[in-house]
Amino acid sequence: MENNSAAAFIQLKNLTRIYHQGERQQLVLDGICGEIQRGEAVALLGRSGCGKSTLLNLIGGIDRPDAGDVVINGSCINRMDEHGRTLFRRRHIGFIYQFFNLIPTLTVVENLLLPLELNGWDLAEGRRRSMALLEEVGLAQREASYPDQLSGGEQQRVAVARALVHRPALVLADEPTGNLDAESGQQVLELLDRLVRDEQCTLIMVTHSQVVAARTDRTFSLKQGRLVSDGEMVW
Amino acid sequence: MNLLWRASLRYLGRHPWQMALSILGIALGVAVVVAVDLANESARRAFDLSMQTVTGQATHQIVAGPKGLDENLYVKLRRSGRLPASAPIIEGHLAYAGQTLRLLGIAPFAESRFRDLLSHLPDEAEEGVLRQLMTQPGAVLMSLERAQGFDLSVGQSFELRHSGQKRQAVLAGRFEPPAEQKAVMRDLLVADISTAQELLGRVGWLSRIDLILPDADAAELDAIRELLPPGARLIPAAARGTAMQKMTHAFSINLTAMSLLALVVGLFLIYNTLSFSVLQRRELMGRLRVLGATRSDLFRLVLSEGLLIGTLGTLLGLLLGILLAQELVQLVTQTINDLYFVLTVRELSLTPAGIIKGVLLGVGGSLLAVVVPASEAALSPPRRVQDRSRVETGARRLMQPLAWSGVVLLILAALLLLMSKSLAAGFAALFVLILGFSLLTPLWVSLLCRCGAPLFGALFGSPGRMAVGGVQHSLSRTGVAIAALSIAVATTVGVGVMVESFRTSVQQWLESSLQADIFIAPDAPSGTGYETALNPAVVQIIESLPGVAGIRQSRPVEIQSGDEITRLTALRLPKESYAGMKFLDRPPEMVWPLFDREQAVIISESYAYHHGLHAGESLELETDQGRQPFKIAGVFRDYETGQGVIKMRMSLYRDYWADRSIHSAWLYLEPGVDIDLMMERLYRLVGEQQALHIRTSRILREASIKTFDRTFAITHVLRLLVIGVAFVGILSALMALQLERSRELAVLRAIGFTPRQLWGLVTAQTGFMGLISGLLAIPLGLVLASVLIFVVNRRSFGWSMDVVVSGSVLFEALLLALFAALLAGLYPAWRMSQTPPAQALREE
Repeated sequence: MENNSAAAFIQLKNLTRIYHQGERQQLVLDGICGEIQRGEAVALLGRSGCGKSTLLNLIGGIDRPDAGDVVINGSCINRMDEHGRTLFRRRHIGFIYQFFNLIPTLTVVENLLLPLELNGWDLAEGRRRSMALLEEVGLAQREASYPDQLSGGEQQRVAVARALVHRPALVLADEPTGNLDAESGQQVLELLDRLVRDEQCTLIMVTHSQVVAARTDRTFSLKQGRLVSDGEMVW
Repeated sequence: MNLLWRASLRYLGRHPWQMALSILGIALGVAVVVAVDLANESARRAFDLSMQTVTGQATHQIVAGPKGLDENLYVKLRRSGRLPASAPIIEGHLAYAGQTLRLLGIAPFAESRFRDLLSHLPDEAEEGVLRQLMTQPGAVLMSLERAQGFDLSVGQSFELRHSGQKRQAVLAGRFEPPAEQKAVMRDLLVADISTAQELLGRVGWLSRIDLILPDADAAELDAIRELLPPGARLIPAAARGTAMQKMTHAFSINLTAMSLLALVVGLFLIYNTLSFSVLQRRELMGRLRVLGATRSDLFRLVLSEGLLIGTLGTLLGLLLGILLAQELVQLVTQTINDLYFVLTVRELSLTPAGIIKGVLLGVGGSLLAVVVPASEAALSPPRRVQDRSRVETGARRLMQPLAWSGVVLLILAALLLLMSKSLAAGFAALFVLILGFSLLTPLWVSLLCRCGAPLFGALFGSPGRMAVGGVQHSLSRTGVAIAALSIAVATTVGVGVMVESFRTSVQQWLESSLQADIFIAPDAPSGTGYETALNPAVVQIIESLPGVAGIRQSRPVEIQSGDEITRLTALRLPKESYAGMKFLDRPPEMVWPLFDREQAVIISESYAYHHGLHAGESLELETDQGRQPFKIAGVFRDYETGQGVIKMRMSLYRDYWADRSIHSAWLYLEPGVDIDLMMERLYRLVGEQQALHIRTSRILREASIKTFDRTFAITHVLRLLVIGVAFVGILSALMALQLERSRELAVLRAIGFTPRQLWGLVTAQTGFMGLISGLLAIPLGLVLASVLIFVVNRRSFGWSMDVVVSGSVLFEALLLALFAALLAGLYPAWRMSQTPPAQALREE
């Protein structure tokens, strides 16, 4: 990742993460550094188990590094306490997962309303925003359906809308097409691409696919705990 | 309603069986507590109301020994002009058509300031009725409801029975008490004092004189006391009620403790279910955390679920409790009548306090039980929330600290037992002991799984090993379910061993103390023994019977001193009966000479325990000659009453009390005399004089054991309810456990397990859990039995007994646990074997 601007939206500073398995230690991220600019779309490639999701979790404040810092828009999120990180995530980050992770007991529109409610949005305003996004993803007619009444592609489109509904500055997508057929995957990617750019979000997307990665502004790979940019070691 | 709460409600709605079982579990727990509380409270309230009805506005009473007060004392006191308001009273019990009726003899013109008994007569009849009451022999008033029940009309004669003797009465009028007094006054007969004296066979005597002295100071009270003859005492009107309530105190506490045990098992159930529902949603909780739900959001969410389930369960429990109380109150009343005094409870007293107590226990307990699962939910890390293996790793890591905490609690229980002698501390220790044991359960389960795996493997092959492995693998769930079932089964072992030990000791005591051949007593209702006596003509006939080697005569009385009632039995003992008495601290040859010749008494073990007395010391009793000291010749084993009894030789009793009555007689027949012929002869000779209970010792022993069993009927009912709660608990846990494993079981189906094999696997697992529960329940049950016998029983009633542990009780416990677990596992096993693998394998 680029390392040329002090005002970069995301700064990763010497990030290290070690997993402990009994006596054994596994170094997953080995002092990663880098920067991502506001509005950039970045793909993160790598083999299974190389630490892509771990890095995404560190950036999202879901996990904490053993060493180093994650600074987003000037806030060092790993130095925040659990509550602070939760509130930061709630306001500024949207997540998309391979297995959709919708709330099965809420309807489609309620799934979109939930982040807004947590952020204290006005209900009517929130509903307008949710319906507008559902319109965008082509599922306005399914607003009252439950997730298990939708196809995989439809669920992921709802997940994309949910990730963007509260206007986050950053969207983290963990293999968003990994569980979809080629056609549905293509639809979701197009949607994600369009919405992220419309909403002027920064996107970090973990993927196995070079084709998917090609749609982003920049591509990085994780190898042996280090970040490699377009074949060259960044750090 | 916010979306988190809506999502949570929909989750609960989608798992109706889980929700229903939790609600049922807490409902049963609350129902048992509320029912016992209502039954106790109704008995207490019925007692209070009946005391209030007969005490009225009286502030003080003049009372005397068993015989009562000479009626001339009342005349003397009235003439002295020192009593501002007084009313003579005679009280007793009579039987009619199999019902026990309480007779209150009053002086109608002195009554108005004390009681409003006569104000409940119809206005138009009042004057005529009062005249009739005072002039017509046998005239009594009865409640309209009772009179209609007996089909008696005004002016009709009917035959009452007192002490087995017929008494002619006439229904002079029927009163209709107000609604709140209806239940209490339903079984009340009111008569003029002279009529009542005749009906009760106590002409010339009063039970007490009621006084109204609201502002009397000590000097005024002393002035009245100076007018009283020796043996008569001035006491506050409430003293007798307090004394009688004290007698049933230990009984009430025991019932309450038993009911709390049901609630504890219910709380285990809530914990298990909610904890499971949190684990089942671990991924969902993680998603919510990713979306920005804070820890406190999730904590509040699960707590609210607990509150909802607790509230619904409590509401249902209150309704069930009221229904259950209708049955329990009969058992409680029966026990009070068998052991203590005559009490009729016709209505449940629903008090706000009782309901609030139930609500607090149910809702408060549910919240307490849900704190751990709520914390579990709050501590869930985002997304990657605890997967099963992580939870189980955590649970295994916790196993040792939990076990150590369990050991600390067991030590605390032991210290509680050693450091305090109170009954409350005894029960507290019992609950701490149970808690300590439950914390040790996961460790034991883990150890037993290690031993069980090879055995089940050898018996059932891979499915057997998998069944045992599943129990160990899901220790966080199985441990709690096994603990709940173990506690419930241990309760049955503990109570079972205690009751069996007690029963055996009582049987041995009856064998040794009832060695006479024939027992004779007046035919009188249960609980009225102190006011009945053998007709002197009957006593004379018995004493002159040929073929009788010896007669043991007895006169039990109650002596009130302050707010304590002492039970005293005067005895005339033939030498043949000496062997029947087992002394605990002195040899009989040392006790009997003192008893026979000195101013000495023997006291029961209970009496000695409650009063801290020993042989060689002395005690004081209120006699008709004032307060007198008596040496304690010995302490004997006795299970007659929990308060204890003092026994005194008849001649000494008669020296101090102006009472010549004999209540009952035991006949020792000469060798070769036929018992049946002697009984026939007795019926022939005394049948005309008095209706009597004439029984052989064997029949009497059987009747006593029947009474004993009846006394413990309520304990058995509560024991079954505790098992019921635990059964619901284990059913819920097993259902949850098996459904949680649906994916794993679906994989087994996919790789070739037949539905039958799957059914066998699930059944083997539930059976193994039942077996472990049963095995763990046995040592805990034996410890509980020891605490019940050596601490609770001792501190409640002062009884000691030999511990009897029969193999059948232990075997039954094992079978019960196994059966409960297998039964609870039937539905989950069937359901899992019927689920198509594709459905269970579907991801979302």
